[in-house]
Amino acid sequence: MNKSRTSIVTATLAVAAMATALTACNSNPPSATACSLPKGPDLDRAISAARFDLETGCEHQFDQYFQRLLTIAEGDPKKDNKASFSEFLIWANEEGLLSKRQARETYTRYFGVKYVSLVSDYSVCDQTCPRQDEVMQKMNRELVDKEQGLLKVSADRREYYRASRLFQETELVLEATCEACGPIE
Amino acid sequence: MKTTTIRDRDYKRNFVRRLMSGCLLFMPLAVHAASQTPTIKLFPTTVLEEIKHTGNVAAEMETGLQAVITRLDEQQNLYMESKCEGNEGDPGCEQIARQMGKSYLEMLTIMGDKLPEMETAVNSTSSSLEKRIRRELGQKKTSWSLQELLIGEQSESGNNADRPALRGRSGMRLSDRFHQYYQLVARSGGEVNSSLAVVASDIYLDMQETSSLIARTREEISRATLMEQLNQSFGTITPEMQEVVAGVKSILFGEEDALMPMTAPPASRPERGYESPLKL
Repeated sequence: MNKSRTSIVTATLAVAAMATALTACNSNPPSATACSLPKGPDLDRAISAARFDLETGCEHQFDQYFQRLLTIAEGDPKKDNKASFSEFLIWANEEGLLSKRQARETYTRYFGVKYVSLVSDYSVCDQTCPRQDEVMQKMNRELVDKEQGLLKVSADRREYYRASRLFQETELVLEATCEACGPIE
Repeated sequence: MKTTTIRDRDYKRNFVRRLMSGCLLFMPLAVHAASQTPTIKLFPTTVLEEIKHTGNVAAEMETGLQAVITRLDEQQNLYMESKCEGNEGDPGCEQIARQMGKSYLEMLTIMGDKLPEMETAVNSTSSSLEKRIRRELGQKKTSWSLQELLIGEQSESGNNADRPALRGRSGMRLSDRFHQYYQLVARSGGEVNSSLAVVASDIYLDMQETSSLIARTREEISRATLMEQLNQSFGTITPEMQEVVAGVKSILFGEEDALMPMTAPPASRPERGYESPLKL
């Protein structure tokens, strides 16, 4: 009898222990709490909060965090913000959240004059002209991002002016070049 | 009586506009070519010669048109001062109207005479430029290196005052525009940045459009001439005729000056900003 009783207690404890273990497995912080996007006007504080979240399970929301940081930075536009975002992206690369290429392209997309939409390996006639409209649409969207990064976040009118001018010149030169390349075969 | 149409007007107006804007680009090119060695071979001597020739033909046409337009202007003033509007039956007014019609016909004739030569020159230049652009920009460059070419020219220049005006900015008084281009080049001295890819593209696309406009204009001129000859029998000036003349005048004498900014700021070179190691 005692033996049977002991067995029941042991079994109960085992079940309780398993249940506790299962609960522990599921005890990753609920995403709504752990991955809350940073708030407040202070960019440095927001970046710290974002780093903490991104290295503790929220890496899948990197884009949303990045966008939130840009929005916060818009509240205090200054040229120093470029350095803050650069450091943040370098950190993201070191943490394995982004590849080096992704980090470079993201930085350039928002804070550079050049257009990552124009990255290509083959000649203009062969690769760009067959999808000229698509390329221009991508550049146009990138110009909007540059407006945010260069103008609204960094207050760098000169660089934004250059990016805008580059857009116009590229459009003109591509139009002429693709006309000269002839019809797509 | 309606003798010419709105289409005629827009069409000739566009044609003259294109023609003039084409001419304007020739002068700086010749000077640039002499003062620097381009890294991309878009303007070899042969292309420059063709451009120069096209410019000469266009200039001849412009000179001829300018004289006729000045006369038309005077005749129109006389017509207005004589209060001929609404008084078309008056013999004096009819005479002025016929004289205006004759001048208008003369304008059409000048255009008709010069257009074949102009067409040949434009097509030849366009064809040469097309080959150069295809080879130098289309086949030798990727879209990334093309961008680097353009951005390189931007940063080297330091400011944008010496950058060529883009398409669609014609309309300034012609002599002033030439003067500005000359000053632009003269001021730049040895550090001229001609943004050759942009200039070549600009000229090429203009040539393409001009060529198409010439072809269409040649088709239309004989019809417009016939209509005006018929109109001579009735001695009436039409609003369309006045508008064509006004359009041509605005190109030659720059009545749209205020709408056409020549170059863009900034004039000074600001300090270098933050350089990220991530920058491509």
